[in-house]
Amino acid sequence: MSEAPHTVKSYEEELKNLNSNIIKMGGFCEEALGKAVQAITMRNSDHAESVIKDDEKIDKFETLIEQQVVNLIALRQPMAIDLRETVTALKISSDLERIGDLAKNISKRTLLLNENLPKNLVDALVRVSSDVQKQLKSILDAYLDRSSSVAMNVWESDEKTDDLTNLCMQEVIKYLKENEKNLDDGTHLLFVTKNIERIGDHTTNVAEQVYYLVTGKYLEGDRPKGTEPIVTGEK
Amino acid sequence: MRKNGVNMIKISAKNVDVFYGKKQALFNINLDIEENQVTALIGPSGCGKSTFLRCLNRMNDVIDICKVQGEIVINDFNINDKGCDVVRLREKIGMVFQKPNPFPKTLYENISYGPTIHGMAQSKQEMDEIVETSLKKAALWEEVKDRLHEPGTGLSGGQQQRLCIARAISVQPEVILMDEPCSALDPIATAQIEELIDELKKEHTIIIVTHSMAQAARVSQRTGFFHLGELIEHGSTDKIFKNPDNIKTQDYITGRFG
Ligand SMILES: Nc1ncnc2c1ncn2[C@@H]1O[C@H](COP(=O)(O)OP(=O)(O)O)[C@@H](O)[C@H]1O
Ligand SMILES: [Mg+2]
Repeated sequence: MSEAPHTVKSYEEELKNLNSNIIKMGGFCEEALGKAVQAITMRNSDHAESVIKDDEKIDKFETLIEQQVVNLIALRQPMAIDLRETVTALKISSDLERIGDLAKNISKRTLLLNENLPKNLVDALVRVSSDVQKQLKSILDAYLDRSSSVAMNVWESDEKTDDLTNLCMQEVIKYLKENEKNLDDGTHLLFVTKNIERIGDHTTNVAEQVYYLVTGKYLEGDRPKGTEPIVTGEK
Repeated sequence: MRKNGVNMIKISAKNVDVFYGKKQALFNINLDIEENQVTALIGPSGCGKSTFLRCLNRMNDVIDICKVQGEIVINDFNINDKGCDVVRLREKIGMVFQKPNPFPKTLYENISYGPTIHGMAQSKQEMDEIVETSLKKAALWEEVKDRLHEPGTGLSGGQQQRLCIARAISVQPEVILMDEPCSALDPIATAQIEELIDELKKEHTIIIVTHSMAQAARVSQRTGFFHLGELIEHGSTDKIFKNPDNIKTQDYITGRFG
């Protein structure tokens, strides 16, 4: 927000409130992703169950933020930075809600896994998910600090996430090929990997919004792309 | 005429300073007004919007202590030159004021007054036509066609303002200056004027001073922000309202002015 406060204090309060709800919602998403990752890599069902249960909180934030945005537009007619603040809050909240859903989906699948997973596969999962966790943390910090350069960094790093996703996919495919009884677990793991990548995509969307919020400009050009994800095992 | 991007430049203000006695009201204003566009001038009270508007048809001449320096170039001609025919100028640059100010005469006479003094009609029939087209263009004809010979002051506020617009366009001005034309009107009458402005820009260049940020955003394609006699920023309306360059502009339009 710009330095000077609004002449109308209640308007100032409403914008601050919207802002802090995004931060809170983002915090819950970070927590959900962290627990979902731990649940799968360390096979911790308690974490998985708490992610599933807590997703409701994230959904409620989305509804709340949407209502606040509609009220601001209808009653305050925000302009310039306030307009960008309002519109980006709406879009960011919907990306965060999706991140929550995907974390929940990872957790549900975790609860269905039977076998102990090979170390290489777990390592690959840890690499891609900690990369995505790092991006999510950075972009939430960038939102708080109004940093367009950090937003740009996060946006550019989506490429790396795609590459790590592919490496992880390859491990899953190796695992699937090893033994027919790995079919169920392997299928879940394909979706888990894909979901982590999708969380990375939503994080990139948030980065675009933060960049627009701060600069009023759109990040130009095509979104950076790594190698195309392998789903079938063939390039 | 010069071009600016896609549009022709109708008016060019160059290094304009205005003084009321010793007090300087405008400081080195440079602004290009695009043809067939609506330009909104916004800014806090006393920042010089009306003063600037009055520079454009030399209305400041009538204020004794007012001195204007710099150039106002309209159709490649500096209207501050000695050779400028001020009567012709005001025919080309019409004006509509904050408070609707119809003459205390009939509707018909309100409109026919300008065309008469400028000798624009050769016959009663021609004058009837001018009156009718002007009222139609001002979106007032249907409401008043049966009472053309009643006094203009008997109309509602919104109708009176449209009458004043009809009066302004009766002499086919190239530019219409409007100084807070809706500030005395209710929301419906305001919407009618705004719709009218949108229509009028097809044939005229319009400059509107408004206190309503929302109105500037709704009606204009270009916006200029004045503050303490300076033109702080000007540009396309959507840029000014979505992402202004200057922090003062942003503070003003977002309601943060200290
Ligand atoms: N006729 C006048 N005589 C002396 N000072 C004037 C006159 N008209 C305007 N001013 C001064 O010039 C400045 C700009 O006024 P104005 O152009 O009316 O501002 P705005 O239209 O933006 O409210 C103000 O400080 C005002 O007091
Ligand atoms: Mg004024």
